[in-house]
Amino acid sequence: MTRDFTEAAVIKRARAGESEALKLLYERHSSRVYTVVRRLAGDDDLAADLAQDAWVNAFRKIRDFRGDASFGTWVHRIAVNTALTRLRQAARRRDLQEGYDGGSTLGNADAWPASRATDRVTVQRALDVLPEGYRAVLWLHDVEGYTHEEISDRLGIAVGTSKSQLSKARARMRALVEAARVEVLDHGTP
Amino acid sequence: MVHLNAEVFSELVDGGVVAGAEEHLASCAACRDQLASLRDLKARLRALPELEAPAHLWSAIEARLTGRPARDRRFGWPALIGMQAAAMAAVFVIGLGIGSMFTGDEALEPSGVPVIGQVAEQPPASSLEDALAEVRRQGAEYDLALRRLERVASRAGTPMASLAVERLAALDVLVEASRSALATRPADAVLNSYLFAALEQREEVLRELARQAQQEAEVAWR
Repeated sequence: MTRDFTEAAVIKRARAGESEALKLLYERHSSRVYTVVRRLAGDDDLAADLAQDAWVNAFRKIRDFRGDASFGTWVHRIAVNTALTRLRQAARRRDLQEGYDGGSTLGNADAWPASRATDRVTVQRALDVLPEGYRAVLWLHDVEGYTHEEISDRLGIAVGTSKSQLSKARARMRALVEAARVEVLDHGTP
Repeated sequence: MVHLNAEVFSELVDGGVVAGAEEHLASCAACRDQLASLRDLKARLRALPELEAPAHLWSAIEARLTGRPARDRRFGWPALIGMQAAAMAAVFVIGLGIGSMFTGDEALEPSGVPVIGQVAEQPPASSLEDALAEVRRQGAEYDLALRRLERVASRAGTPMASLAVERLAALDVLVEASRSALATRPADAVLNSYLFAALEQREEVLRELARQAQQEAEVAWR
C-alpha cells in the first residue's frame, strides 16, 4: 500500500504521535525554522537551542494546529515566538534596557571576515555582531515583515522605541558593512 | 549643510515621506548615496540564504519528545570537544568503509553464516594507545563482518532482518570497546567521538528494525 506523504496526511499522522511523521515534518521545515532563529540569535549554539525548543513546542502543541495557515507558517511563528521569549528573558537578566537601546557591543573586529569575504558573509556577520535588540527589530521588520506595533507587542517595547531601534540598527549595519568593505580593500582582494 | 539623520533615512527606506527630505536629497549627493546604500542593505538582508539546521538537532529533539536519555551534544560533543572530535568521528565512519581493504580476507565462512560473533569483547585496555588500537581493530572487524553479511545476503537471499540484528550485535560490541577505552581516558575527545559514531550507527539500525517491523518488508541495507 502506498503511503500518503502529502502535508495534510503527514500532519494527521504526526498528530497521532507517529514518530516518522514528526521527523518528516521536521525535515521539510527544519531549514526555515533554523534560519529564523539563527538570524535572531546571532550565534550558532544559541540558535541550535532555540530551534530545539521551537520544534519541541510545536510538536507538543501539534494537536492545536488547525490548518488555518500552512504548517510551515505555523511552525515558523512558533520559532519566532520561542526565540523572542528567550531573548526577552535574557534581556531581563542582563538588565537589557541598555542592550535594547543599542548601547552594548559594537562587535569584535577580529570576528570580521578576511579579505575573501563575500557580500553575503559580510551582511551576515554584521547582523551577528549587532546588539541583539537591534538585530531582533531589524530582522523582524525588514525580513519577516512585522509592523512596529507587532514588534512592540512581541518585544515589550514602545512603538517609538521600535522605530528608533530600527533606524539605529540600519545605521549601525551600514557602518559595519562599510567598515568590512574598507578592510577588504585595505587587505586587497585576490 | 545639515544632513538627514538616521530616523529620516529609515523612514525614507520604508517608503515614508518626510517634509523637506526630497529637497535636501536633490542637492546632497552624500545623503543620496547613504539612502541608496541603506536601501541596498535592506535588499541584501532579505536575500540572505536559508540555512541548514545542524545535523544533530533532530536527535536532541526526538530525545526530548520521547523522554529517552538525551544525546544532547550541546554539552557533549562537538560543543565541548570541538571540531576535531567531529572530524575524527567522520574519519572513523569512513574508516569503517575502508577497513576491510587492509584485512584482505574476502573469503566467506564455509557455512555461509555471518561471522560477526567472532568480534569478541576484550579485557579493559591498560593504556590509551592500546584502547585506541582496540577500537580501531573492532571497527575493522565490524566492517569485514558486514561485508560478509552482505555477500551472504546477496548470494543466498538471507532475510535482511537477521542482518539488521547481527549488525546491531556487532555495534554493541563496538560500543562496549569504545566504553572500555574511555574508562582509561574518560575525557578523551577522539575516543568520545568513536563512541558517538558507534552509537549513532546503532540507532540507525534500531530505526531500520522498527520501520521494518512496521512495514513487514525486507530492508535494503546500504
